[in-house]
Amino acid sequence: MDIFSNILMGFKVALSVQNLLFCLIGTVYGTLIGVLPGIGPVVGVAILIPITFGLNATTAIITMAGVYYGAMYGGSTTSILINVPGESASVVTCLDGYALAKKGRAAPALGMAALASFIAGTLAVVLLTFIAPALSNFALSFGPPEYFALAFMGLTLVTSLAGESMVKGLMSGVFGLIVSCIGVDAVSGDERFTFGLLSLLDGAGFIGVAVGLFAVAEVLCNLEDSMEQVFIQAKFTLRSLFPTRQDWKDSWWPIWRSSFMAFFLGNLPGAGATIASFLAYGMEKKLSKHPEKFGTGVMEGVAAPEAANNAAAGGSMVPLLALGIPSSGTSAVLLGALLVHGLKPGPLLFQSSPEFVWGLIASMYIANIMLLVLNLPLVGFWASLLRVPYKILMPLIVTISAVGVFTTDNNIFDMWVMFVFGVIGYLMRKLKFPAAPVVLALVLGPMVERTLRQSLTISHGDIMIFFTRPISAVLVTIALISLCAPLLRGVMDWRKKVVEIS
Amino acid sequence: MRRADQITGVVVLVFSLAVIEGGRRMPPSGTFGPGAGFLPFWLGVAMAILSIILLVNATRESAQASEGSPFPRGQAILAILKTIGGLAAFILLLETLGFLVSIALLTAFLLRCVERVRWLTTAMVAVANAIGMYIVFQMLLGVSLPKSIFGF
Repeated sequence: MDIFSNILMGFKVALSVQNLLFCLIGTVYGTLIGVLPGIGPVVGVAILIPITFGLNATTAIITMAGVYYGAMYGGSTTSILINVPGESASVVTCLDGYALAKKGRAAPALGMAALASFIAGTLAVVLLTFIAPALSNFALSFGPPEYFALAFMGLTLVTSLAGESMVKGLMSGVFGLIVSCIGVDAVSGDERFTFGLLSLLDGAGFIGVAVGLFAVAEVLCNLEDSMEQVFIQAKFTLRSLFPTRQDWKDSWWPIWRSSFMAFFLGNLPGAGATIASFLAYGMEKKLSKHPEKFGTGVMEGVAAPEAANNAAAGGSMVPLLALGIPSSGTSAVLLGALLVHGLKPGPLLFQSSPEFVWGLIASMYIANIMLLVLNLPLVGFWASLLRVPYKILMPLIVTISAVGVFTTDNNIFDMWVMFVFGVIGYLMRKLKFPAAPVVLALVLGPMVERTLRQSLTISHGDIMIFFTRPISAVLVTIALISLCAPLLRGVMDWRKKVVEIS
Repeated sequence: MRRADQITGVVVLVFSLAVIEGGRRMPPSGTFGPGAGFLPFWLGVAMAILSIILLVNATRESAQASEGSPFPRGQAILAILKTIGGLAAFILLLETLGFLVSIALLTAFLLRCVERVRWLTTAMVAVANAIGMYIVFQMLLGVSLPKSIFGF
């Protein structure tokens, strides 16, 4: 009953003219980000933080969540039509999607991708509606040691699953924590690593770092390879987009199975939409009566991963809203956006800002419907956008990023932060260091440090405090196991598989 | 990758020693419990250990398995350096030239000198981008963008 009245209040917030308008802007822009190869949801959301800075917090985050979802919908379009994934969570959709397009079935494949995304996205929001408040209630009893353990586990899981080498992932994470130390120490008031620069007293600035690491670095990397594509022509009438009865029969259960699996996977730190889409594809191939046909153009090979990436995106909102712990690169950027807008993520968020939380959740229901409408009849329009050459797009991304970063504080210094982290991000990509752990650590850093120091103050410096309290003991143990995992051969093989396919 | 990892390992090791030293110099806690330098110090230690592991792993890797440099050569690296240089020049000149002129110049530079787009397209996109961004940021979002020393 309580949830029911809360969600009604949420709809009241989400259905205001302003929020509806910005939800629409977010989903359109997100679809665009998803359709265009070379810019993913992380970049899309990062660029939006400064641009939406002037809006109120609820509207701004509704817009960004719309982008996240929109990118998941739009990513399949390029996978199917030009065999180039629009973003990493749609890589596996290429396999059967492009094969279907070559067989002349591009239209129903695109239609199925949109419908599977809709089913999965809606299911994920329904589950989120019930699970997130319960989880945040449970987390109300957490003290500093539990919070430290939680953030520590999130960091280690993300870093140990990111990229090819675990050592490099951990180095990225530690680097992010070091960057988060820059500025005035919140506990003692001492200056740290400011080099006498006034602009660094408040820290390096999350927006400059994120836009640099993702948008600028991405552009620099893309300069190397030409982005020319072969485009499969297809006619898109509304009728041709609807999958046949046989397509539905093949895809119905894969959509539901993948959605449930991916939602719960998305709850865990580290397992984002990309991994979920690969696991869903692998699972359906195993369960299928004709596994040998996967890769030659079967409908469930499009439906399962497209359902999975949307469900995982929804699933990753659970720890973000209930605990204030992001589980992927994109949700780390979203958490950064919450902080920029002065909201305090954590279990108290449901009580301190109910209009925000429930408004956001309600807007996700609306965003899914908007995206279905945007994607089904308008898919021909999105496909035609693929003809805009990347050459023209590149300067636009650079200038929007730079000006966006400037406008947050009207400070030239923030642009230099973006510049420096753009170069660092480029070097990291080339040297195979994952960028997501840096942002995650930067966002979680202040909380990790505060809770660590509080815990050690409570225990008079005894580190055993993290092992004598049951919840933190479990979480820290999971974190330590994930750190020691390379020592176990079986786990290593599994990890290699996960990393290889992603 | 082998040589690249070795160099990275050394650079990060030096960086982490600087972090450790920085953490050591921070004042101790005034009351009780860990002070400001506590976390930086241990992060520096962790980073140092990780960089040594990277260094050792890279050195132990067989020389045959290592490919060439991960960085591009020729045209591609030139395009990247030009983009970085153009961006730096843009940030430096923003407050002198003003928003409209510097955005148009940066867009034109990236289109023409990096991507080798035709002059006509370059000019059109550059002007449209500057005006479009002016409309979005200054007029719709109400941000005050830097004006040039000539007042526009």
